[in-house]
Amino acid sequence: MKKYFTQKISIAPLAVFRALFGFIMLVSTIRFAAMGWISDLYIKPDFFFTYYGFDWIAPLGGTGMYLVFAIMGLAALLMMLGWHYRVASVLFFLTFSYVELLDKTNYLNHYYFVSIISFLLMLVPAHRSFSLDVLRKPELKVDKVPAWMINIFKLQLGIVYFYAGAAKLNPDWLLNAMPMKIWLPAKAHLPIIGWLLEYDITAYLFSWTGAFYDLTIAFFLLYKPTRIAAYFSVIVFHLMTYFLFQIGMFPFIMILSTLIFFSADFHETLVRKAKRAWQFLAERFLTKVQKSTSSDNEKSTTALQLSTKASGLLGAIIGIHFLLQVFLPLRFALYPGNVFWTEQGYRFSWRVMLMEKAGYAVFNVYNPATERSWEVANWDHLTENQEKMMATQPDMILQYAHYLEDHYQEQGISDVKITVQSKVTLNGRRSRSMIDPDVDLTTIERGFAHKNWILPYPETQQSWFNRSTE
Amino acid sequence: MINFQRFATLIVCLALIGVSFACSSSTSSEEEANFDRMAMLENYGQNLIIPAYDSLQQSMNGLNTSANTFAETPTIENLEQVQQQLKEARLAWQTANIFQFGPAGMQTLRASINTYPTDTTQINDNIDSGSYTLGTIENQTAVGFPATGYLLHGLDSSNEEILLQYTADTNAENRTSYLLDNIQFMKEKVDAVTNEWKSSGGDYIATFASEENAGTDVGSSLGMLVNAMVLHYERYLRDGKIGIPSGVRSAGVPRPKATEAYYAGYSLELAIANAEATQRLFLGTGLNGSDGPGLAEHLSALDASDLAAQIENDLGAGIGTLEGLSDPLSQQIESNTESVTAAFQDLQQLISLLKADMSSILGVTITFQDNDGD
Repeated sequence: MKKYFTQKISIAPLAVFRALFGFIMLVSTIRFAAMGWISDLYIKPDFFFTYYGFDWIAPLGGTGMYLVFAIMGLAALLMMLGWHYRVASVLFFLTFSYVELLDKTNYLNHYYFVSIISFLLMLVPAHRSFSLDVLRKPELKVDKVPAWMINIFKLQLGIVYFYAGAAKLNPDWLLNAMPMKIWLPAKAHLPIIGWLLEYDITAYLFSWTGAFYDLTIAFFLLYKPTRIAAYFSVIVFHLMTYFLFQIGMFPFIMILSTLIFFSADFHETLVRKAKRAWQFLAERFLTKVQKSTSSDNEKSTTALQLSTKASGLLGAIIGIHFLLQVFLPLRFALYPGNVFWTEQGYRFSWRVMLMEKAGYAVFNVYNPATERSWEVANWDHLTENQEKMMATQPDMILQYAHYLEDHYQEQGISDVKITVQSKVTLNGRRSRSMIDPDVDLTTIERGFAHKNWILPYPETQQSWFNRSTE
Repeated sequence: MINFQRFATLIVCLALIGVSFACSSSTSSEEEANFDRMAMLENYGQNLIIPAYDSLQQSMNGLNTSANTFAETPTIENLEQVQQQLKEARLAWQTANIFQFGPAGMQTLRASINTYPTDTTQINDNIDSGSYTLGTIENQTAVGFPATGYLLHGLDSSNEEILLQYTADTNAENRTSYLLDNIQFMKEKVDAVTNEWKSSGGDYIATFASEENAGTDVGSSLGMLVNAMVLHYERYLRDGKIGIPSGVRSAGVPRPKATEAYYAGYSLELAIANAEATQRLFLGTGLNGSDGPGLAEHLSALDASDLAAQIENDLGAGIGTLEGLSDPLSQQIESNTESVTAAFQDLQQLISLLKADMSSILGVTITFQDNDGD
């Protein structure tokens, strides 16, 4: 037990992890800004789908949002360099999580992952080696830290992979190769492997390999004899998803993060090589180099000592965190119905690339005062992406209906009835009504209670595919 | 580690079972694999889109010529000739208007030449002052087909009286100039887009049917085509031509003047032409009736021929619904709003099939944003 918690081990894996994470976050932030998404996602929309309980989190307008992202990018850079790391890590966690909480339209599991990792990084002294902070204040340097400071990241990665794999153990994924059977043929025009993607067997191969990979990769990475091979498969698997799917930075984040499973020796070599490369460049291009800054040659090692109070507090925080990590993905079991259909307990559960869901929602408004009814032009209120996401997610449909109620109230129409005709297709099945079309959504309250106005999932609903096994 | 190895072995076995199961279940029908998406795009480009713009361009030339003849010799016969040419151009537009991406997107063609209801006050102000810049945002509702329709049909109640507006009226000269300027403005827009599509011009057809754009992302040719088709059907056919005039977007209050050809009185005919063009697009039928690979075949090749049949059926039913109404549509809206809103509801049935089911099965996305699978 002691081996995994309090034993003092080399800080190198943690320092490298910090630098790489800061680097990839810096790249992500710049990419996000360059794509114009700050404006598209957080400035242009009129309405934001806030999270229940976090409705007070609102965007800060044009200048404000750009400023937030500037701070986020700067904080990522500082984390990478390890300069004023404590402040930088807190700033990064706060700005990143703030942005993620603005609109659930943009929820991605990997954003949630980034929030969690930056939360954990906030709690550990990842800057006390291989950092500008150590150059600045040499007394900060330590060589060893308690093992838990590194193991929490391995555990977190393991949880992510394992739950992602467990979520794949469902009939659609395993028996029907859905949604791979839809997504892969769409990429049939790609060179070299494209022609393979049109065959059903490829879809099954992807599905089963994917599930196997997710369920086991953490174990293979932990186990030394299989580690190299496992990491090679990490690279292949994630690069494949990068080329085949519109998945963004996630593959690179995982490829860099999983390096933490490697030994201290490996990371110490990395650090040494990085320092040597820097020294080489510095000697070449900078005139004044203080050769003595590196204290590598000093043999005396220092280990980080935590006070009992600090240990207790950190232990409690991390204990609660991992309890949540274990139970949050399972909360779907508390709700009746199919989680893919109702999405009750769907988010924050590492359900990645699991379903092809698309829908169309028409909102009908009835004004009892004039006895007239009409339809809402969703595009007047929502962005295309918001409309698409809303159409398949019951909690967003309800939220939008409430927004519409307020909108008409502002126009002086005080007591409208709002109903929705919503058609949803899931994994190639024929679209069906998802929401009870007779329920007046203005009378329904938001919350975590079971949404009994969601129509039951049509288990026996026929697929559009002629050769389906159902 | 023993347990772990045993676990790993178990998983490997399960994977093997799964793969062998997959083999046995998938050998049954592979004969339709390898649908050639590029051939479909080529068919659309060469046999439907370019011919549609060609036909629009020709009818615009005809409109321009007849309008010039009318300007030189304003007679009833020549007025009727321009009216006839206008109708032909507007009918030709009903195929081209679905393809509002690429060159048409660059020219903002739809907003430029067919924004309605037209603003008669703005048109008359322009005619009165004699100085205007066509193509500005404020003049968007004072140009294009709807404005031409007003100028040729809406100035008075009979052609004899309309003719007087171009001969005897104090503003006759300015009005004639405005008519010609407006038609010239439209013609230039249409020429630019048509030229950009053709291999003899901008050669957008080569980009459209190229291998690098043969994917299904939002920027791919199929992505643009499907998104344009769905958007057009939802907002410009169902809403613009039927829904908005019948009041579904104005708190239930009908707006008969918001029909597409309010002054010319053939709004429904245009709507039917547009629905038929949508059907041709879905089936891959060329403008001259040629048969080629289209979205229907694509769905069938993906093994969703039932969906293709359902959409084809609903498209036909939509045309039938429209044929059940009568022109002038504005009058039917005033006399019997319910029949028109019912038609709107009928047209709506198809949208979820296009927007959800079809897009889903084709793997077409609507945004560039990262997505980890909903």
